[in-house]
Amino acid sequence: MNRRLLQRNTRFLLIWLPLVLLICSTAFYTMLLKHTHHMQEKQLLLKQTNIWNAFISRSGHIDWQVPGEYDIIEGTASPQAKLNAPLDTVIYYTDSKQLHPFKKLTGHLSWNGKSYLVTTYISSTEFSHLIIKVFVSEAFILALLLIAIVVINRKSSGLLWKPFLNTMEKVNTFEVTRNESLTLPAETGTTEFNELNKAITALIARINTAYLNQKQFVENASHEMQTPLAIIRSKLELLINQPGLTEKNAALIGDITTANDRLSQMNRTLLLLAKIENNQFPETETVEIAQILKKILADFKNHYEEIPLISATIENTTTVHVNRVLIDVLISNLIKNAIEHNQPKGNINIALSKNTLLIENTGPALSVNPHELFERFKKGSHQTKTTGLGLALVKQICNLYQFKVNYNYNDGWHRVMVKFDEAAG
Amino acid sequence: MKLLVVEDETSLLQSILEYFTQEDFLCEGVGTFATAIEKIETFNYDCIILDINLPDGSGLKLLQYLRQNKKDDGVVIISARGSLEDRITGLNLGADDYLAKPFHLSELNARVKALIRRKYAQGASMLELGNLQLDLLARTVTCNKQPVVLTKNEYDLLVYLLNNKNRVVSKQAIAEHIYGDQADNMPSFDFVYSQMKNLKRKLKEKGCDELIQTVYGLGYKLSL
Repeated sequence: MNRRLLQRNTRFLLIWLPLVLLICSTAFYTMLLKHTHHMQEKQLLLKQTNIWNAFISRSGHIDWQVPGEYDIIEGTASPQAKLNAPLDTVIYYTDSKQLHPFKKLTGHLSWNGKSYLVTTYISSTEFSHLIIKVFVSEAFILALLLIAIVVINRKSSGLLWKPFLNTMEKVNTFEVTRNESLTLPAETGTTEFNELNKAITALIARINTAYLNQKQFVENASHEMQTPLAIIRSKLELLINQPGLTEKNAALIGDITTANDRLSQMNRTLLLLAKIENNQFPETETVEIAQILKKILADFKNHYEEIPLISATIENTTTVHVNRVLIDVLISNLIKNAIEHNQPKGNINIALSKNTLLIENTGPALSVNPHELFERFKKGSHQTKTTGLGLALVKQICNLYQFKVNYNYNDGWHRVMVKFDEAAG
Repeated sequence: MKLLVVEDETSLLQSILEYFTQEDFLCEGVGTFATAIEKIETFNYDCIILDINLPDGSGLKLLQYLRQNKKDDGVVIISARGSLEDRITGLNLGADDYLAKPFHLSELNARVKALIRRKYAQGASMLELGNLQLDLLARTVTCNKQPVVLTKNEYDLLVYLLNNKNRVVSKQAIAEHIYGDQADNMPSFDFVYSQMKNLKRKLKEKGCDELIQTVYGLGYKLSL
């Protein structure tokens, strides 16, 4: 599961910090308890010394028992009794009718040849109250610390990661096909981010170079291919003019000619694609889509003997600021597709309304994934007559002018919709 | 008619020379910038077919040289670079026409003939074959002295065939001649068949039948 770094960090802190604090508190409590016991023992011993001194100086003429303070008994202790070690005990208070916890310490002392057992008492209640109070204060402070750590961490993370987020935003909007260079700040105040920015800047420079090389390669390759294609074409023309041409040879030449023409056409289209990518169509003008569309439709009706039934609703409201050649290529490619990939006695619907051109045609479903349809050399059918570049060209032109194009197939109808963006150009 | 072909690809050069020799041109072919300059300085040509990418210099430089020296030989550029800017650059430097590779020889032939007619007003403005006459200025066609009414496309088609008479002209060449770059968008040659069918019918009505022959589905040939 992926979360934001900040969330993950907070989660770690919230899981581990309380645990650490809990262990610390336990340790603190144990130590506090140990020190308290030690102090009680000292106090009991001190009391014993004081009482014994008073007992000797007054030759035994003091009270032999003060409840809750001390008692002195003549005699020796039983061998099982623990001497000189604090022990828990309780004393019953008649006024409050309650048992109160006490610590007692018994010492074995001698005076004038007689043995005495001196036991001193000290109340445990105060100590346990003190322990609780100290412990509660400590817990409160630790909780405060926990909150402070989490809050400071969140605040500082937001601040520290800002250069990173800025970089991410720029990298995300970077589009290699638009041939842009990316400038990231070299100084962010954090060495790691400086290095990251430096690395990304260098990487993008390399990507741009590679992309440029690739584009130039396609363009150069297409240009270089023109000459051999021209040679083949000229030889074929000479060949069909040879005397004594047989029908069989003519059929062979016909096939070569068709293949060579397809190659030429493909090459020309690749070149056109490369040129669009290289931004070699900078001239733009305001173009009325309706006018172009009508002209193209008229042309197609002239060119084809049999054409599917075309019904067109054209509103004269859409103008775009584009290159006329490219918009012509865009629309004629779409209409050509609607004609070529139609079925016998099929239909075509064309609707141009405010900034949207919808072209629908009847036809069998595609054998290719619709998402790949706009990629180069992806054909929806295995027609050998087509180059598989028409829709790639459409996509490229739409990208150039930020038009949106999408395709869907429903109930035997192919639908291509182009949304012209008014703001474009 | 004297023709100089400047093209460094020997195969293509040979093709062009062969085609134009059959058209009764006096043809010379060279493959380098230096030899082309030599030829231009020594002789006058009616038309020069010029490739731009030469091993030892640019065809455009040759064109500049030609125009700076006040030689007004007709120039048709043939180039692998066919973009609008390339065309404009070529034409601005004084070329008379610009043809992008790969081209059809029949198209080059038609362009060269049109150029020569424009430039020198030679052979007047009449194209003839048998009893078929075509007046380029008036844009009229007569067959056995009877006017034949043709559409623009049919007229263009007939001019093209007359420029390439006695030769097989491929249907692809016809498609590209009539529709230019638009031909790319026409994967079928239906329209060539239908235009040709109409043209044949109209000529037959006026008694010029059998002039256009179909050659095994490859193309058409206009001959007696």
